[in-house]
Amino acid sequence: MECVVQGIIETQHVEALEILLQGICGVQRDRLRVHEICLKNNPNLGNVASEVRLLCDLEQPEPTWTVKHLGGAMRGAGAEQISVLVRTMVESKVSKNALRLFNALGYKLDHELLRVGFAFHFQRGAQITVTVSSVNKMLKLHATDEAVPVTPGIQLVEVTAPASSENYTEVASAVSSFCEYLAPLLHLSKPGVSTGVVPTAAAAAVSLMSDGGGTTLFSPHTTRIKTAGLAWSI
Amino acid sequence: MAAMEGVAMQDQSQQQQQQQLVPPQPVAVERLNQAVVQQLNLEAVKTRAISLFKAISRILEDFDAYARTNTTPKWQDILGQYSMVNLELFNIVDEIRKVSKAFVVHPKNVNAENATILPVMLSSKLLPEMEIDDNSKREQLLLGMQNLPIPSQIEKLKSRIDMIGAACESAEKVLADTRKAYCFGTRQGPQILPTLDKGQALKIQEQENLLRAAVNSGEGLRLPGDQRQMTPALPMHLVDLLPVGDGVHTFSDASGMYMKNTPPLSSNSIGNQGNLLQASGAQLIGRSAASPSAATSATSFDNTTASPVPYANSPRSGTNMMNTPSPQQQQQQQQQQQQQQQQQRQKMMQLPHQQQLLAQQQFRQSQMQGLGQLHGQHQMQFSQPMGHQQFQGRQMASGHVQHGIGQSQLGQGNQLNRHLSQFSGAANSALFNAAQGTSNSQMIPNMSATVSSQSLLPRMQFGLAGNNPQRSHASQMLSDQMFNMGASNPGSMIQQQQQQQQQHNTQGAFGNMQPNAQNLQSNMVALQNAQQNHPNFAQQRQQNQQ
Repeated sequence: MECVVQGIIETQHVEALEILLQGICGVQRDRLRVHEICLKNNPNLGNVASEVRLLCDLEQPEPTWTVKHLGGAMRGAGAEQISVLVRTMVESKVSKNALRLFNALGYKLDHELLRVGFAFHFQRGAQITVTVSSVNKMLKLHATDEAVPVTPGIQLVEVTAPASSENYTEVASAVSSFCEYLAPLLHLSKPGVSTGVVPTAAAAAVSLMSDGGGTTLFSPHTTRIKTAGLAWSI
Repeated sequence: MAAMEGVAMQDQSQQQQQQQLVPPQPVAVERLNQAVVQQLNLEAVKTRAISLFKAISRILEDFDAYARTNTTPKWQDILGQYSMVNLELFNIVDEIRKVSKAFVVHPKNVNAENATILPVMLSSKLLPEMEIDDNSKREQLLLGMQNLPIPSQIEKLKSRIDMIGAACESAEKVLADTRKAYCFGTRQGPQILPTLDKGQALKIQEQENLLRAAVNSGEGLRLPGDQRQMTPALPMHLVDLLPVGDGVHTFSDASGMYMKNTPPLSSNSIGNQGNLLQASGAQLIGRSAASPSAATSATSFDNTTASPVPYANSPRSGTNMMNTPSPQQQQQQQQQQQQQQQQQRQKMMQLPHQQQLLAQQQFRQSQMQGLGQLHGQHQMQFSQPMGHQQFQGRQMASGHVQHGIGQSQLGQGNQLNRHLSQFSGAANSALFNAAQGTSNSQMIPNMSATVSSQSLLPRMQFGLAGNNPQRSHASQMLSDQMFNMGASNPGSMIQQQQQQQQQHNTQGAFGNMQPNAQNLQSNMVALQNAQQNHPNFAQQRQQNQQ
C-alpha cells in the first residue's frame, strides 16, 4: 500500500524547488533516470486485464529492474476526506529477465516512458520519497536515448510513502503535512485531480534562488569583557 | 565614605583569579548609606565570595593531586569547573558593579603587598592582544582616511554610518513588505495575490492534463501498431533482453511465441490431430488392454499409449490404461478439440512421461468432478464446463471422455451417460454409434464367455466397498471400481462395459442419473440383478442395437 500525491511545477522553478527540498529534507538528492515499461495482458484467463509496470533504473552503473503493480485506490467516504491517495502497491526487485517472463505470460507492452530528474528519500513521520522529474516519451520503441518530454514546460512532482492498512492514516497525515511546506511553490493533489500552478510560485522561486543572508554589511564591534584578564578596573 | 579594600590576589594557576573581600575595617566607623547597604547586600556577597573561594581551592587541590600522582587530568571536567567558577565570579562582580558608583576603590596605602599589582590595576592600557585587535579594527575602519585631517575623518565616518543606517531601513522595509505579501504573522487571508494571465493559465492547464494523463494512464504514449518497430539500436539495458530480428515482434501472441519456440512439436501435434480425425472409430471401447494405435503417426502419443502397466494393482496404472490418450479417443473429441487449445497438448507432450501420467490422473479427477456438476444439465451445456476446464488440458479431456464411455457402460446411475449424450453434433454421435457397433461385435463373443461367471458380482461389490467412502462423486467411485476390476479382470470389465452400453442405448434412461453414493449402492445392486439376467440382457442388447 502507498500514499501518493502528485503536482506539477513549471520547469523554470525546478531549481528553486530543489533548493527548498534540500533545506526541508536534509538529505542529498539522488539523480533519477527510470525507464518505465507498462505491460498489460489480455484477459484470456480472467475477466479483467491486469497491468504491471517494469521499472529499470538507468542511473545505477548496472541497470536494476523492479516490478511494480498498482492496485485500485481506496474508496469511500473515509478516503475522500484524506487528502492523499491511498492505493495498493506491490513492488519487488527482479532480474533483467522479467521482461521476457512477462512477455511469455502474455503481457504486452502498453506504453513506456522515461523519467529524468531527481529524488529525495527521507524520514519525516514516514518514509517519504519526493521525485521531481520530466516525463519523456519515446517516439520509437524503446528508444530511450531519443526520448522527448511529453510537456516540455512542466515537470511532475510526486510524493509517495509506503503504508500498511494499519498505519495509513498516520502516513497520510505525514505526507500532507510535508506537502504544506511546499505550498509556496506548488500544490499537490491526488493523481487525477488537477491543480494548476500556484500564483506565488514565481515569487517564491525568486526568493529561494536569491543569495539571501550570505553577505554581511557590517561586522559588529564586539565589546570586550575583561573577565578573562588579570586586571580589573571597576 | 567607607573604603572597601579589594585585594586581588594573583593566583599561581594560569587561569584562575580570586578576589577576596575583606570586611570593612572596624577602624572607620562611618556608616554606609542604608540604601546602598541594602543594594550591596554585603552578606550575600560575602557568602558567595567564600563559596567561590572554596571551589577554587578545591580545584587547586585537584591539580596538586594530579601533579603528585602524575595522572592525566580530565581536561573536560576541569574546563567545566573553570567555566563554572568563572561564571560565578562574573556574577559577583556584576552585582557589585551596580553599586560601584558609590565607591571608589583605591588602595589607601601602597605597601609591600599591593605594590606589584597596583600599577596593573590602575592602568587603563589594554592587554597586548586586545590592543592588537583594536589596532587592526581601527585600521580597517579608517582605511584611506589616515591622511586626512580629523574633522574630515569624522565626517566620512558619519556619512558611512548614515549609509548603513539607510541600508538597514530599506532592508526592514523589504522584510515588512514580503511579510505582508505572504501574510506571515497576520491572521487574515491573502489579500494581494499575484494572478496569472488567463491565457497562460489555460495553456498550463492543458499541459498539466496531458502530463497527468500520461503518467497515470499512459495516454499519448502508446505507439500505433505500425510504429512499433523495434529500433535496431536498443538501449544498453534492453540489448540482450529483447530478440532483435526482422519482423520479429516480441509482442506477438503469447501462444504464437510459445509455438515458435517449439516448432517441431507443434507440427507433430497438428499432424496428429489430422491423422486422428481421419482414423476410423474402431477400437473405441475395447481398450482395457492398452493397445498402442497403429493408425497415427509416431509422436509422443505413442509413447503414452505404449506404456505398459508397470504396477498391476495401483490405481495409477489403472488410470493409465484408461486415460492414456489413444488415437481413438482423439477422434471422439474432435468436437472438443475445436475448443481446446493446442498449447496444452504440446505441454503435455513435452512433459516427461511420468509427470504426464500423474497429470493425467489429476486432470481426470478434476474432470470427473466437473462432470459431476453436469448433473441434470442439458446436453448443450456440455461445452460450457469444458470451457472452464480448458486449462486443465485437452488430453485429459480425451482421457476422460473415453473414461466416460467406459464408465457409462459400467453403472446405470452414471451421469457420464448423460455426458456422452451431451455430445452435440452429428459427428460424435456417428462416431459413437460406429464405436458401439464395433464394440458390440467384439463384445459378443466375450460376453458369452464371461456371462456365466457369477463370481464377478461379489468382486464388483467388493471393489465398490473398497473405494474411499469420502469420494462422494459417483463417477469417481465407479471409475475406481472399474479400474480395480480392470486391473485384475479385464473380462468382467468388458461385460460391464456391455452393460453400460446397453444402458446408454436406452435413450430414455437419462432420467435415472443419480450421482449420489447412496444411490450408487442401489445401482450396483441393480446391476447385480441385471447381470443375473444375462440371457435377457443379451436379447435386450440385440434389440437396442438397432
